[in-house]
Amino acid sequence: MGRLVPDFRFFSDSGAMFVPDSLPVGAGCLRIPLYTTVMKILIVEDEPSLREIMARTLQREQYVVEQAADYATASDKLAAYDYDCILLDIMLPGGSGLQLLRELKQRRNRAGVIIVSARDSLDDKVEGLELGADDYLPKPFHLAELSARIRSVMRRHQRGGEECFTAGNVRLWPDSRRVEVAGQALELLRKEYDILHYFMCRPNHTIDKAALAEGVWGDHIDQSDNFDFIYAQMKNLRRKLHDAGADIEIRAVYGFGYKLVLP
Amino acid sequence: MKLPYRILLHLSWVLSLLLGVWAVLFYVTLTDEIDHETDEVLENRAEAIIKRVLAEGVSSDTALRGDRDYDLTEVSEEYVRASGYERYSDEKRYIPERDDEEPARVLRQLFRDRNGRWFEVTVMVPTIEKVALRESVLWWCVWLYGFSLLSILLVSALLFYRTMRPLYALLQWLDAYRVGGDSPSLSIATTTVEFRRLNDAVKRFAERAEASYERQKQFIGNASHEMQTPLAVCINRLEMLVDDARALTPEQLSEIAAVQRTLGRLVRLNRTLLLLTKIDNGQFPESVEVDVTELAHRMVEEMFDIYAYRGLQLFFRNEAPLTFRMNASLAESLVANLLKNAFVHGDAGGTVEVIVSPGRLSVSNNGAAGPLDGKHVFDRFYRGTEKEGSSGLGLAIVEAVCRLYGLRVVYDYVEGRHRFTVEFPVAI
Repeated sequence: MGRLVPDFRFFSDSGAMFVPDSLPVGAGCLRIPLYTTVMKILIVEDEPSLREIMARTLQREQYVVEQAADYATASDKLAAYDYDCILLDIMLPGGSGLQLLRELKQRRNRAGVIIVSARDSLDDKVEGLELGADDYLPKPFHLAELSARIRSVMRRHQRGGEECFTAGNVRLWPDSRRVEVAGQALELLRKEYDILHYFMCRPNHTIDKAALAEGVWGDHIDQSDNFDFIYAQMKNLRRKLHDAGADIEIRAVYGFGYKLVLP
Repeated sequence: MKLPYRILLHLSWVLSLLLGVWAVLFYVTLTDEIDHETDEVLENRAEAIIKRVLAEGVSSDTALRGDRDYDLTEVSEEYVRASGYERYSDEKRYIPERDDEEPARVLRQLFRDRNGRWFEVTVMVPTIEKVALRESVLWWCVWLYGFSLLSILLVSALLFYRTMRPLYALLQWLDAYRVGGDSPSLSIATTTVEFRRLNDAVKRFAERAEASYERQKQFIGNASHEMQTPLAVCINRLEMLVDDARALTPEQLSEIAAVQRTLGRLVRLNRTLLLLTKIDNGQFPESVEVDVTELAHRMVEEMFDIYAYRGLQLFFRNEAPLTFRMNASLAESLVANLLKNAFVHGDAGGTVEVIVSPGRLSVSNNGAAGPLDGKHVFDRFYRGTEKEGSSGLGLAIVEAVCRLYGLRVVYDYVEGRHRFTVEFPVAI
């Protein structure tokens, strides 16, 4: 799936420079983090500050990131290069993101498209998804959410492989809600599974308790100022992971929330 | 009171007053005229009798006798001095032909003959019965009153409804009118200047209300949208800072968490305002048959988990299946906000009671502080009690969803419990 484009250099966590040719092509199962493959992402967003943040976050996750601030630039880039994933704002200077999407689909481009829009409107969402977008992410969003959505789109685009998330020796199949630790099936309760899924999509992100609660328990959480109900579930999940011999850990970040730490 | 009734009521008392005055005047003039005529006749007769008596002289057998036409009696000086020369009166007299007492007009006139003796001649003529006259005048007045009132009533009602037709059409239109709703445009054909002006004025006001409503709605929508991107930037920058956790102490992290929560509240406030705007705009067209019972049951379970720390008891009673055709996500918003309200505001240690009965979903919670202001409880940002984390918009959403689907939502306070009931139309 990973496309190797010689012009692009990107940085690893340690700051060393990689040349993409030297990397092995991705295995069947999408690995997290994506050390084994180079994903190229185009961010089409007119707000400079947000664009910069998105770009930095994704670069940190080893994606190759290109940026376009307006319709014309985005159109040029889409015509000249291939991307694995495109983050598309709808309201752009010089045109609509939906028009870009239409052009893209006419050219039978197979890139994954996530519409990122401040207009949380049903019409846009429906039209975008009908035009062939893979997902719709309303602003404002958590950065962890953004990377989770990208991962999810990538997973769906990956053909032939097992469609699972892997972190350390833990593997999770979202379609069948199945979890394995070191090849052994792990039984989880519904909410425990949901929490694990949430973290597996967002490894290495420090997750605010409130964001976790909202992500797992839904939007109805908003008025709660007490997150005791998370502790109990989290305690059980961590115990089960530990007992099964998982080498990943959902670590508490004092005063803030949790973080999935990879071995 | 309806306008025609009011007019008729006024008409009826004015008419009764007028007819009453008219009846009195009529009676007085009529009796006056009759008395005047009879008095003249009596006077002439008395004069003729006196002349004859004076000419013939008074003889005891001819003049001083009880006559059927007149009486002649001799009177004393004292009597003359005590009474006037001429006296008219209404009396009952025996009329031999009728063999009955009949009302009569009587004249008593005094005169002196040549010998200086005083005589009194009494002449009378049968006249009308005044009591009967009064009665019949009164009777006829009542009849006349009734008849004229009835005819005025009929004619004016007819005229009224005919001429006021444009007014009633306008009222009907106003009744059906809803700002922001899709009311038909006002078009009432009338040639009456006043009604045309009224129509124009109403039309102008409706347009103005519509325009300002539209502007306000757009403003809320736009303001909320415009805030999304800066909010995203704030939240995301903090997240980047946190992800790079090596640099931060736990204290700094919890400060950031607090800022994040506050930003999160702002985001939700924004989303909720947008949701309200969208509901008002009717942007939730697709409907499905929603199983309200099932939905309530699922949500109650979730809420119970989330709000377990508040130590509330839960009581869920399902008396009848309840389904309603509506947008699925709005149904969720409706039920979730009702429940959330109960879980968040219920007194600690109390019970949250959810009852699904035929055509009704009611959610109640303990509230020792007394009833809320029923008029404003569904207003945006109305808060009975200040509560950290409460958006003040939950019940506004409930109300907006109910308004969209024509459901009735009622608040009442029974035995120390706040109760919200949504009434669904039940197909029978």
